[in-house]
Amino acid sequence: MPQTPRAPHAYQSGTLARIVDGLRYGGGIGQWSWLAHRLSGLGILFFLIVHITDTFFVVFAPDWYDHTVAIYGGVWFDGHYYWPLRWAFRVAELGLIASVVFHAINGVGVILYDLWPKGSLYRKPILWTVQVAFWGIMLVTTPIVLYPLRKAPDQPAASRPAPPPAGVASVVPGR
Amino acid sequence: MTARSTGRRIRPSGGYELFMWYFMRLSGLALVFLAVGHLFIMHILNNVETINYAFVASRWTAPRTGWIWRLWDASLISLAVIHGFNGLRQVLYEYLSAGGRIVAGTVTWALTAVFIGAGGYSILMFQPDEGFIKEHPLKIERTTEISSASAPPASQPISVAR
Ligand code: HEM
Repeated sequence: MPQTPRAPHAYQSGTLARIVDGLRYGGGIGQWSWLAHRLSGLGILFFLIVHITDTFFVVFAPDWYDHTVAIYGGVWFDGHYYWPLRWAFRVAELGLIASVVFHAINGVGVILYDLWPKGSLYRKPILWTVQVAFWGIMLVTTPIVLYPLRKAPDQPAASRPAPPPAGVASVVPGR
Repeated sequence: MTARSTGRRIRPSGGYELFMWYFMRLSGLALVFLAVGHLFIMHILNNVETINYAFVASRWTAPRTGWIWRLWDASLISLAVIHGFNGLRQVLYEYLSAGGRIVAGTVTWALTAVFIGAGGYSILMFQPDEGFIKEHPLKIERTTEISSASAPPASQPISVAR
């Protein structure tokens, strides 16, 4: 497997030096996949912490929950709709989806390499397949996620008094 | 340590780190289904403009399928939190000396417990607030009518699967 050789270098103490060394170029697509896997994993973890916190609202403050999700849709605390807010969250949402899709596909590639007996013969093909699958999926997903941005949401959530239509009144049957 | 040219962590020789090495891989396989499926349902089939409290309530308390979604979400949270914080721990260990590793290991496992606790509490202890749902109903008509053969009484015709 071709690798970029790098000269041995003197050990330098200090956190910064170690971080810089950790980011030094090591070997082609493997290096970049490793970096993307690490950054996407840490990004998803950060999102997950936020998401567990906002979902915690459902058990003790339904109105907080609805307000929080409304912000994700561009409706601020004052009940007004601000399109940049919605755009920002949409783009971030796309980033989250891309992170999970990449991390998942590349993770399966890592698992194949490590746990499939022949995996180690196919490291480069696996890494390139990961790239093709990732970009293919994102090519389809990106328009789906961004398409609704072309117009403002029909009814901003906060200005919606509508009572449930008859027959839908009990959304939580069988309790 | 990470073998950067192969883009993953080399199999540790044994013990705790070997166990976590396998855990990362096995939980990863489960998360492909749980996490990607969750994203697909929430961000492609639905989205933040249709999700609200009533949506969550209808999903978790649906008569036949509610327990499936709760089980799904609880498994997803448990595995993702352990997988994510263990990943963070492994990254931190690369940059820390022995003393720092003890702190990082303790803190990441403590946070793992806190977030599984908080997430598990939301999912398993959830009780719908009927009054709030009446005032802030579902925003979508994405409701699946239960087939008449197995339908509950007409006053309760709607089951929202997702
Ligand atoms: C969707 C399915 C997923 C798969 C297939 C997967 C797979 C993997 C694998 C195999 C590793 C180990 C890599 C190694 O040993 O070098 C890993 C590391 C990691 N994962 Fe995941 N994972 C998934 C989801 C997640 C989620 C939801 C999170 C966040 C909560 C996450 C966060 C991390 C982190 C932070 C690391 C450590 C990265 C590093 O050591 O550089 N993963 N993942």
